[in-house]
Amino acid sequence: MGKVKFVVLGAIAAVFLMADPGFAQAQGSEWRVPFLNCLTGPIASIGEYLQWGAERAALEINEAGGIKGRPVKVVGIDTALDPQKGSVEMARIVSENTLVALGPVPEPVIMAAMPIAVENHMMSMTATTSYEYAVKFFPWTVSWFPPTAQRLAELVAAWARLHPEIKTAIQFVEPYGPWPGMAEAHAKGLTGAGVKVLGKIDVPTDAVTFGPLVVKALEQKPDGIVFVCNAEKIAKIIKELRARGWTKMNHLLVFSSGDAPELYATGGSDINGVEIYNYINPDINTPRWNAFKQAYMKAHNGNQPPSLSTNYYDALYMIKRAIEKTAVTGNPDKLKEERKMLAEYIFNMKDFHGIMFNWNMKNGVPTDKPTFIFSIQNGRKKLIKEVRP
Amino acid sequence: MSLPLYYYLSITAVNILMSWCLYLPYRVAQLHFITVANMAISGYTAGYLVMTFHVPFGLSLALGFLLGGVIGYVVSLFIGDAPTFAVVIVGFTFIYITRTVIENTPAVGGTMGMFGLPNIGGSPSFHRFAIIVILYGLVILVGFIIHRFDHSSLGRAASAVFADKDLALSLGIDIRKLGMLLQTFSCTVAGGTGVLYGFIYKSFHLDFFTFQLVGIAMTIIFVGGYTTMWGTVVAAPLLYGVPLLFPPAVAAWRIVIYGALLMLVMIVKPEGFITRRSVFHVEAFLSRSRAKLNDSYP
Repeated sequence: MGKVKFVVLGAIAAVFLMADPGFAQAQGSEWRVPFLNCLTGPIASIGEYLQWGAERAALEINEAGGIKGRPVKVVGIDTALDPQKGSVEMARIVSENTLVALGPVPEPVIMAAMPIAVENHMMSMTATTSYEYAVKFFPWTVSWFPPTAQRLAELVAAWARLHPEIKTAIQFVEPYGPWPGMAEAHAKGLTGAGVKVLGKIDVPTDAVTFGPLVVKALEQKPDGIVFVCNAEKIAKIIKELRARGWTKMNHLLVFSSGDAPELYATGGSDINGVEIYNYINPDINTPRWNAFKQAYMKAHNGNQPPSLSTNYYDALYMIKRAIEKTAVTGNPDKLKEERKMLAEYIFNMKDFHGIMFNWNMKNGVPTDKPTFIFSIQNGRKKLIKEVRP
Repeated sequence: MSLPLYYYLSITAVNILMSWCLYLPYRVAQLHFITVANMAISGYTAGYLVMTFHVPFGLSLALGFLLGGVIGYVVSLFIGDAPTFAVVIVGFTFIYITRTVIENTPAVGGTMGMFGLPNIGGSPSFHRFAIIVILYGLVILVGFIIHRFDHSSLGRAASAVFADKDLALSLGIDIRKLGMLLQTFSCTVAGGTGVLYGFIYKSFHLDFFTFQLVGIAMTIIFVGGYTTMWGTVVAAPLLYGVPLLFPPAVAAWRIVIYGALLMLVMIVKPEGFITRRSVFHVEAFLSRSRAKLNDSYP
């Protein structure tokens, strides 16, 4: 028994000795950008490609000479989707000489950790959440997306006009974070385009079988269906729909958060013809995007970059530009004013050259990002329509 | 106090309180997970009162305790003497119902959550001071009550129920009333803790009150030791604090380390690291020291 105690205590002591000293001391020689991410836990697969995107940007920036001559390093900090851990890590970040951070990811950690960044006047860029979450923490974060109600209503109305034969529609909605709000925006857009919205089918977060939900939906005889739930669940619902005789695949629309690897892996050929909207277009042909895509596919067994993989790539480039265009030096003595300087610049950044397209920020909100509607064919997206604000 | 230390200490206090909320009903072999739902109900209610009606924090905290206690009491009328698994099922069901109600209540933010809870006393520094004082005041108060309970005839009755219900009945112990008492007390503490939990983050989100919280409390109790309240006091800061110090390479293995630790404890020390025997030894040592001290000063 004594030996066991010795081993356990020894292991704990070893962990303490190996403990990470933090961010502060390295700020002088390099720009360290902490990224509060979910690298383990239920959404670790998403966290991995968000991290990959940010690190890819750091690699490119460093190969091109760094930022103001100093290399940049993205330091992934795992919150494991745990608000408790997220809050302590954010407290640690703001207490050290951090100028600006990436994340947190996702909403529960944002809610727990962002108030700490706000209170300490440090920008932390939450590039994966909706406007409705980000706006609560302005001006110490930016929204990656325009207000949901406005943009999604336009987008879904455009989709409905592509299919004038759709007279009635229904939505599958999972009650998670901003998703019910997105469904409301869809309903507004559909109604505006003359489609009668029959209602919504609630998809429980812990649902494992979808037959009864599909039967409930089909009883209402909708012409079109919009999906606002987890990617894997969408794929399973579509399979159930097909099994019950649904053939008009282009009358099915998947929302942007459903554009994840699980949709394609689980859906397989059953999702051929299904339509999907998103904020990026993987079919653009530019050297920068092609290089990103090639590198991603090489690092991920040939898989295409998922839709969110570019968000933190662009976010790091925004930080780079903000540092270069302002008088930021990284001097810890000027931390407070330099944090403010960076935040103000990013909050209203003009003509930012993102990997996909250029856009402008106005008061923390992108004003002219396009959205795209695609058709899924054999695991790939084919552009049908670009919708500009 | 540094900011990370504040968050570490305040969340550790929450974990201690929530683990005790599970520990107490477990004294009569009931795993009472309803306490997590109580946290959410009282927390959201207090948040709503503060945000919408500008009710003072102190009053909303008191209402949080009260609400937790009332819900705990009403539920205990039905499951005061229920077996372990029945109580577990009621707890899980209650968590699901609570989540669904909150998800569908726009007044408290629905699935989006509740943002922007104000600072207690108006300033962030006073807020932190107040939160720490209240939380650790509560830890001391609840710890004292549990300590007295464990050393009382009620505590011995609870031990008898845990060991053998039939034996306890034959000794004239009212199992139902004892269960009701412990459940109601746990729910009262959980209600207040839920309010404080939200005020630490200055926001509420449904995912603050998930089964992960149940998992944390269970790990703390079973690694620390479920036969005495002191196991929680030792395990909560260690289990929560040590992973924060993990270097990134080790952090990815955190869940594996937790799992291995739990298995190790279950195999080597099924009662957890801190047992009644070890507490007895410490108490005996302390009383000998006190006796020596008294002898020195006749």
